[in-house]
Amino acid sequence: MAPPSGLHQSAIPSDFETPFPPLVRSSTVPAGLTSHRADPSHLAPEDAYGSFSPPRRSAPYDSLAHASATDTHPLRRGRKDPSRSRSRRRKRFQKLLWVKQSYPDNYTDQATFLENLQRNPRVRPYDFWPLVADSTVIVQHVCSVIIFIVCFVGIFQERVSPVSVVGWGSFATFLGWLLWDWWVTQETQGQPGDDDARGRMMRGGRAYRDYQAPRRQDSSGLDPSMLNASTVSISSISNLPSAASSTSNLHQEPQRSTNPPGVTTADGSGLLVPTHAHSRSASSINSITSHASAAAANSSSNTATTAARVISGSDGPGASTQSSSSPPPTARNSRTYVRLSTIKSAILIYFTLLGLSPILKSLTRSTSSDSIWAMSFWLLAINIFFFDYSGSSWAGTGTGTGNASAGGATTATGTTTTGTTTTTTTTNTTTATATTRGVSGINSSSYSSSNKRMPVSALSTNAALMASTVLASRLPSTGQVFSLTLFSIEVFGLFPVFRQYARHRRSWRYHAALTVLLVLGAGAGVGMILGDEHGWPWKKAVLGMVVGCLMAALAMGGCSWWLIGLQKYKNEIYGPWDPARPIIISRRHWDDE
Amino acid sequence: MASTYNIAMVSDFFFPQPGGVESHIYQLSTKLRDRGHKVIIITHAYKGRTGVRYLTNGLKVYHVPFFVLYRSASFPTVFSFFPIFRNIILRERIDIVHGHASLSSLCHEAILHARTMGLRTVYTDHSLFGFADAASIFANKILKFSLSDVDHVICVSHTCKENTVLRASLDPLMVSVIPNAVVAENFKPLDYSKPLPASFRPHHPPPARPLGPHDMITIVVISRLFYNKGTDLLTAAIPRILENHPNTRFIIAGDGPKAIDLEQMIEQNVLQDRVEMLGPIRHEEVRDVMVRGHVYLHPSLTEAFGTVIVEAASCGLYVVCTQVGGIPEVLPSHMTVFAKPEEDDLVAATGRAIAALRANKVRTELFHEQVKSMYSWTNVAMRTERVYNGICGAISEAEFYGYDAANGAGSWSATRGRSGVQSFALIDRLKRYYGCGIWAGKLFCLCVIVDYLIFLFLELCFPRDQIDICPDWPRKERKLDGKEPG
Repeated sequence: MAPPSGLHQSAIPSDFETPFPPLVRSSTVPAGLTSHRADPSHLAPEDAYGSFSPPRRSAPYDSLAHASATDTHPLRRGRKDPSRSRSRRRKRFQKLLWVKQSYPDNYTDQATFLENLQRNPRVRPYDFWPLVADSTVIVQHVCSVIIFIVCFVGIFQERVSPVSVVGWGSFATFLGWLLWDWWVTQETQGQPGDDDARGRMMRGGRAYRDYQAPRRQDSSGLDPSMLNASTVSISSISNLPSAASSTSNLHQEPQRSTNPPGVTTADGSGLLVPTHAHSRSASSINSITSHASAAAANSSSNTATTAARVISGSDGPGASTQSSSSPPPTARNSRTYVRLSTIKSAILIYFTLLGLSPILKSLTRSTSSDSIWAMSFWLLAINIFFFDYSGSSWAGTGTGTGNASAGGATTATGTTTTGTTTTTTTTNTTTATATTRGVSGINSSSYSSSNKRMPVSALSTNAALMASTVLASRLPSTGQVFSLTLFSIEVFGLFPVFRQYARHRRSWRYHAALTVLLVLGAGAGVGMILGDEHGWPWKKAVLGMVVGCLMAALAMGGCSWWLIGLQKYKNEIYGPWDPARPIIISRRHWDDE
Repeated sequence: MASTYNIAMVSDFFFPQPGGVESHIYQLSTKLRDRGHKVIIITHAYKGRTGVRYLTNGLKVYHVPFFVLYRSASFPTVFSFFPIFRNIILRERIDIVHGHASLSSLCHEAILHARTMGLRTVYTDHSLFGFADAASIFANKILKFSLSDVDHVICVSHTCKENTVLRASLDPLMVSVIPNAVVAENFKPLDYSKPLPASFRPHHPPPARPLGPHDMITIVVISRLFYNKGTDLLTAAIPRILENHPNTRFIIAGDGPKAIDLEQMIEQNVLQDRVEMLGPIRHEEVRDVMVRGHVYLHPSLTEAFGTVIVEAASCGLYVVCTQVGGIPEVLPSHMTVFAKPEEDDLVAATGRAIAALRANKVRTELFHEQVKSMYSWTNVAMRTERVYNGICGAISEAEFYGYDAANGAGSWSATRGRSGVQSFALIDRLKRYYGCGIWAGKLFCLCVIVDYLIFLFLELCFPRDQIDICPDWPRKERKLDGKEPG
């Protein structure tokens, strides 16, 4: 708020027409490439086209970078005081446009040119061992895919009995489920309404808490359409696609009545529909929604659903504290109920798959095996590349009772996808719609905290299940097809959930042990498959384990080392030309209203 | 005494499409014509406008039929523009090709072809680009290609210059900063001696002056309602500003995808009587909206120059703006209150502005004359003319680039010729393009060679002497406005 003194008038003399004062090179041009580099973090113009490596992270630079990183708005300040230099005869160069400069237009002031440039201000140096630790996630997934392929090859070559594969797989799944259930129970009982857990849930999406309050009061008395509209409008503010809110609306009613009568019928019809060849693609979406609602109803007593897992996560323990209507006995009952419903849906899936197997068996009879191998290779590659390794969708998984049913819901989703992919391969015309529906089905039914990345991970799951479907269709007998499909659901549908839960909610030891087990298993499997059929299999298995461990170690260490080595090429440039990131804090003020 | 030039302005963006670049080209061209130069404009065909048109003042516009790709940027076909471009250039006897706007592929192609034909080229950058995302990387590579062989670059602000120098790896000395300007006559403050215009309906009293402590203060926002214009900040700040300051109201003009957020904010806070949304307005109406207010709020997140704040100041509004991009360079501090691009700071800055206005500490009635003396298109044209003189060798290299640039040329621009200007020799041009990158450099060289071959082919098939020379519009007398720069 400078007083409107006369300084602007004197600062705007019409001295443009006068010839410019002579330029001295030393004042305009940097003399050499090195002489003026007073501040190593300043980028000189010649750096833009010279070949250079950015400064290594030396201590002074680091502190400087951090200091500038904390200053989130590196805008120029205090330099637009024109009065300071006015008294001098030749005015100091100012980076101002309204002043008539006594310099030519292409004058480049060495002191101020690019002074606000920042290089790599937000770079966090990687450390080797944490990087290796993080890469275990990828190793785990790759290993589980390898194990699946090994099992397929084993079944295909009739070296392994399919019953034993699916038996051991189911046994492991059951064990995993028991373990998880135990963990979840422990967590719910140990820390009801735990602030830490809730904080973790809220991380990444505090908008959820923001708009929950209005919805809850809305849902008390309004009819569903209005409810829907209001939620949608609110969710558009908080950048939530309406799918989540509309799905979550489904749960509001069963939330009150603890007895969901429609579960089994909805579930059953949804699963059985895909067996009808013609109406598959159309009805798959029905099945999806019914799954969503079924999953919703499954866990209705404590509002834990997969479809709105975040909501359930925050409601599960949170609702008990907020509404204080669910004392511990209710919680325990609900746990039993959730367990029962999970078992129920597992049984349903089992029988549905059993019914589907003959169809799957003859699905691609007219296609040559080569195409199937190529196709499944690409599908599995898609699965590996698009898998959600960050696990952010599970990081927010509630401590509430939703987790157990999450398994069930995911299984249901898997089955739906199987149906959908069946359609994909049989009818060419509906391919696009069917797949999109499959994606959207997973998207809406396993919707959770990562709103944006979810389609990608859904793509990954879909690809894997489709790969397993087409692979299974190569198998000669119904029993084998059934075994492989069920196994694929366990490997691609349920196992990632368990892995990510173990990684995010449990200690590092479980994760490491799981990684080692997977690597060993994959190595042994590959060793046995590659080995001679008549030889002594254990020798090959041990050899495979050793090679697998070596390769895993090499890959993890080598890639981490490579990534760290590549960091020296990092050259992010930030300056005043970058769009500012607005800091808006009061959005929730009017969201809540 | 420098001679006059035949200049071709090339850009995808020109009237009838409204916008800042468009009016910049038009104003600059008319002022250059006033100074005795011949200016033609080459743009792509707009709906209903194909062929040649004359605008006021004998400004000739070529609307070249081209496929429009996105937001009136034409489809980048590197070579297809060359035959007709060559024809126009030869017909009009053009010396200097001046391209505008970095998103215009027509401009980049024209610069490439013009250099092949041995013409001087100038490029004006109007926008800021980041370096982070893939689209920017691609755009920057294209810019590097185009600007490898340009003679001079003009940027609208110092921030823009820094950005362009980094993006295209240019020698900073060949980048001039010449700001935009406003036609001050079109942005006069309200004349209280005359009857009020029709835009003041009975319930919109004109802004009171001098301002009493309880008079209504009107805050005007005119911007396209996009994310990068800071509409989110605005949406968050308006309820708080209105809550903190009774007797204030908002007028928001402009349209865009974020308008719905604003409307929702108005409804949720029940501010219908204090926030007026006018929707999209034409550029001619901007002044009439501006003079209804006291404060202009500009919450943009990135801005190369920000012509609108100059217009607002010219209308006598006190400007509250975010301190981003080139905005801090544009107006003196007694006309502006700067805010960080944060909601709290924006609310606080607006509060400071309102307090200062209520205390009658700001002499907004002086703003118009001050802005008028700061920014004028005549000045811009004069400074642009100096650039033309510099690249054509009318003023010596020593004067244009600094005294011992000639001696130290080896370290700076090895390819700048002895006369102080970029050499046209194909091998020198290839040298410049080759340095653009490991792969890109080779690709660019290939493009340049193909372009040269096309040029030879055209010379062979359509010889120069068979192309008609078009008669010039009578040139204006060169105005003798003081001493010539050079």
